[in-house]
Amino acid sequence: MDLIFPYTISVRLPSDLEIIPSIRKFVSEVLQVSGFSAKFAFRSEIIIDAICNNAITHGSAGNADNEVELACVIHRDRVEVVVKDSGGSPADIEKLKEAVRRNRLGLPLPDYEAGGMGLEIVKLLSETIDITVDENNVTSIHVVRKREDA
Amino acid sequence: METQIQITCEEIAGKANARIVRFVGDLDATNVDYVTEQITNYFSDGLVKIVADFKQLRYVNSTGLGVLLHFNKSAKERGGCFKIANLNENVYEIIEIIGAASLLDIYDELNEAVAALN
Amino acid sequence: MGNSALKMEISSDWGSAEIAVLKVSGFLDFSGIAMLSKFFDRIAEEKWSYVIVDLVGLEAMCSAALGEFMGYRKRFVERGGSLVFAGLSGNIRSKLTLLGANKIFSFYQDVRSAINAYKWDYKKQSKSVAISFPADLALVPPIRQFASRLVRQKGYSVKDAFRIETIVDEVCNNAVEHGLGGAENTVDVRMSVDKEKIDINVSNKSAPEKVAVLRELTKPQTRGTGNHVGTDDKRGRGLALIRMLSNDMDVDITEHGTTVHVIKLREE
Repeated sequence: MDLIFPYTISVRLPSDLEIIPSIRKFVSEVLQVSGFSAKFAFRSEIIIDAICNNAITHGSAGNADNEVELACVIHRDRVEVVVKDSGGSPADIEKLKEAVRRNRLGLPLPDYEAGGMGLEIVKLLSETIDITVDENNVTSIHVVRKREDA
Repeated sequence: METQIQITCEEIAGKANARIVRFVGDLDATNVDYVTEQITNYFSDGLVKIVADFKQLRYVNSTGLGVLLHFNKSAKERGGCFKIANLNENVYEIIEIIGAASLLDIYDELNEAVAALN
Repeated sequence: MGNSALKMEISSDWGSAEIAVLKVSGFLDFSGIAMLSKFFDRIAEEKWSYVIVDLVGLEAMCSAALGEFMGYRKRFVERGGSLVFAGLSGNIRSKLTLLGANKIFSFYQDVRSAINAYKWDYKKQSKSVAISFPADLALVPPIRQFASRLVRQKGYSVKDAFRIETIVDEVCNNAVEHGLGGAENTVDVRMSVDKEKIDINVSNKSAPEKVAVLRELTKPQTRGTGNHVGTDDKRGRGLALIRMLSNDMDVDITEHGTTVHVIKLREE
């Protein structure tokens, strides 16, 4: 059976870092059965890892019972990833916005050991990254990554 | 809990304070604690010259990379080194893309890394 | 560079009456032990049994302070809880590991992870993941492998994980084969795993006129004569296998669709 593009896979996951490895591998396998290369899948795995990590660590207002929503819209030539958290603190949201805005060029290398590299990697590996915040401080990060040979 | 990574250690003939440490699996935020414990134990046993064999390390993320840089620094502070060999292409590219390749001591082959121990 | 002053702060609004978080930042050396002891006296007066020591802003800890934590930990274990560390930097983690603390204390990446571990271990809380995917067989292998990884990660044995993977595979294949196709007709899978079992729900939409046929197909085989089914009966074979591997299973068929619910107890 041939997959009909575009299609969406959506996942609701607990706001728990432990779950991320299983989720990112799941997405990687979905991309590979959808005809994307192993390299594309690997890089997408890094993106999923970083934005889910971010949503869980900063976007759940300290409540471990919250959920994070992940949607992958899979097109023939690209994948769109949307990760929605359950509402973070205004300070965290400002930091996130700033991290997304920061120019890729002339980027001072952040302190790797202290963390905070995740979003920089996402920017390097994707075509676009956008962030929207609703009135309840729920943040959605939308990342688009194109197939290399498209 | 199952960890996504396995670490094994092998002696190097003629180099008492050195070890080859093989990483198998994924290095990420869920297991950096375990990996840190293992490597720190080697350091504290005086095994300060580590050659990390990444042949079967499938994945590394930014948290994992942070801990590798930490090992690199920590080993040097103890008069040792933390060399990395046999990286798969995907992992190497990620390290390179974010500009950390020059900060780590990376070799193509395991025997090159072992030969570079002094 | 001078050492930052020692600061401590207790919070308890973490959604569980047993949990308190003690945030310790700055430089915890011998001179800070009196302060630590004062805070733990306060904690001891309350009903808290699970104390998470958040070390995110800690610059250093001396071995005497670690010894104090060991004593406090014993107290909370006696209350049926524990004392754990969260938010350790690379340096602090290395230092504590050298002192052997990792053999006694659990380390967590952050406070949230420590709370999650508490709920899993002490409250038997389940972890639920819901996945929706278009009805296409190509997507079933990633789903079943996800199920296997999910339970392995939570400590289930390889054997249990393999059986769970088989169950998810069979239920999802049935949902895809007998459900409606097209991007708008998703298969919805929900897996809830706790310390003792996994609960799997798979729903698909199906044509109203198929209800009678589906009900006939999903009837359990006669018990006592074994679960043998006709070799050409794919659906029946799949369901028989699910029945054999699981501890409980029911199928709900309506004119809107089918939901299969399976419970598989952890065996090992």
